[in-house]
Amino acid sequence: MGEMTQGVPVLEARGITKHFGGVTALDDVDLELRQGEILAIVGDNGAGKSTLIKAITGAMSRDGGTVFFDGQEVQVETPSDAKDIGIETVYQDLALVNELSITKNIFLGREIRRDDFLGHWFGALDFRRMENEVRDLFQRLDIRITDIYRDAQAFSGGQRQAVALSKTVMFGKRVAILDEPTAALGVRERKAAMKMVTSLKEFGLSVIMITHNMDHVLNYCDRVQIMRLGRRIAVRDVSEVDGDSLVGLITGAIDANEVRA
Amino acid sequence: MTDTTQIAPHSGQWDTVIHQFKQTGQVLAALVLIYGIFFVLSPPFRSIDTFLSIFTQASILAVLASGTTVVLISGGLDLSVGSIFAVVGVVVGILLVEWQVPVIVAIIAGLATGAFCGALNGFVQVTTKVPAFIVTLGGLTAYKGVAELLGSGRDLSRFPESYQMLGSGYVMPISIMFGAALLIGLFLTRTQLGNHAYAIGGNEEVARLSGVNVARSRIKYYMIGGLMAGLAAILEVSKLNFAQSSRGQSYELFAIAAVVIGGTSLFGGRGGVGKTIIGMLIIQTIYVGLAYLGVGTSIQRIAIGLIIILAVWWDVWQRGTR
Ligand SMILES: Nc1ncnc2c1ncn2[C@@H]1O[C@H](COP(=O)(O)OP(=O)(O)O)[C@@H](O)[C@H]1O
Ligand SMILES: [Mg+2]
Repeated sequence: MGEMTQGVPVLEARGITKHFGGVTALDDVDLELRQGEILAIVGDNGAGKSTLIKAITGAMSRDGGTVFFDGQEVQVETPSDAKDIGIETVYQDLALVNELSITKNIFLGREIRRDDFLGHWFGALDFRRMENEVRDLFQRLDIRITDIYRDAQAFSGGQRQAVALSKTVMFGKRVAILDEPTAALGVRERKAAMKMVTSLKEFGLSVIMITHNMDHVLNYCDRVQIMRLGRRIAVRDVSEVDGDSLVGLITGAIDANEVRA
Repeated sequence: MTDTTQIAPHSGQWDTVIHQFKQTGQVLAALVLIYGIFFVLSPPFRSIDTFLSIFTQASILAVLASGTTVVLISGGLDLSVGSIFAVVGVVVGILLVEWQVPVIVAIIAGLATGAFCGALNGFVQVTTKVPAFIVTLGGLTAYKGVAELLGSGRDLSRFPESYQMLGSGYVMPISIMFGAALLIGLFLTRTQLGNHAYAIGGNEEVARLSGVNVARSRIKYYMIGGLMAGLAAILEVSKLNFAQSSRGQSYELFAIAAVVIGGTSLFGGRGGVGKTIIGMLIIQTIYVGLAYLGVGTSIQRIAIGLIIILAVWWDVWQRGTR
């Protein structure tokens, strides 16, 4: 295998372990995300993909393992810790609050306060500034949503996913992690979402994307990490694999040490 | 990059406001309709005095309910505010009647007591993770006991003249009701903590993953609930010119009823304080109206009970169709 010569990975996890009662959801799992790449994570349902990114991003406690950012060990215990170092995550089915407007969703937890005593003393918000920033962001990303003051509830799956992805551009300084960003979408919406995922690269982000869609892995990603039953089975350059070999690795029909496609 | 600071024809904030007004309008229409029915049915109901007394009678419970609104929007529940109400009443009574502290000191101490009791509920709830229903049901009894301990054997009446002004007449109680509602409304719609109430009530997990400190925020919402219970108690003690540990009984239910009738979701994430005020006015209108029609208190209770169920059913049904 072509040894990594890209220098230190932007994000690295070593020996991540997680138990749920007697169930071992993650068993000593590693992960490396290189600067500027899109890394796919694939695996059957229950393989531990979502748990892995939750454990890395502080959304969930872990029973073991270490996270490195730019080669430095970092303490990521809460979602805020991850955000503070520039990692934005779109969790599976947990991207938006239905009851909040688009603007409020994007700024949730990082609202802009008014720059006067109302803001400093009472936490009064500067809605005009937040709305302007959202419109600016949507223009840059070519997202055609104008009624950004409406509840997220009112929008289609594709629009909601676009909003969730746009959040990673707004705040993700270094890394975007996406858990099945196209799972709930129709064919056309899926294509638009993947276009956005690719464009994240242009905004300087390195991307981890969990997906079940092998075409997306082969067409849009640089490398792919295969997981099975809480373990990392293999990591491959996308150029080394095809759909059949990926499915074989996921199901276990192909042993990871066998000759590659 | 080009200048994309779009000066929209009207800021989106206004659309939110307009949308809110549409929902509030429905509740307001219901109030006008109910008022109109009694207006037609009962000639003595048709007086400005009746109109004003509905507002006045609503004011104390409306103040209490405005705090309950915040707690319910955040997906919480506080059944103990009636007992907190009793504690604050007795505390203010002891301070003013026995210790004869300045009125303003007693008011501040009363508000602080209410806020503390509320915050304690919140603290216990988020640390033990026992459901809010149980924690505050415990609080209901416990705070009741505290009020009885403090108030037993005391004659807490004959308050200072200046204090009695707060809750008497029409003007003060009604102004305080609208003032409190305005402040809570601004808090909910304009501040970070207020917006987080909707986020936490809407989807606690998304809020947490977005970096919102859910536990700390929740404690603050319960604190506001207690604070408003304290303000309501201060008003009532002033109005009645006596304080007693038995006051406040089942006020929490009227508060929750007003919130729900107003259209704030019992499941969190949606609602507003203006609707709650209207909800409380609806309850009072029905009470006063039925009294004018010679209907006894038992029937009044049954009517309010049915309306609560209707309001929640409407909430559930709307959730289903969305
Ligand atoms: N909160 C939880 N409590 C208990 N078990 C969980 C929890 N979350 C995930 N699991 C279990 O951990 C394993 C991995 O789940 P998950 O990471 O969601 O898989 P994937 O995202 O790859 O489909 C599964 O066996 C799942 O049942
Ligand atoms: Mg998953």
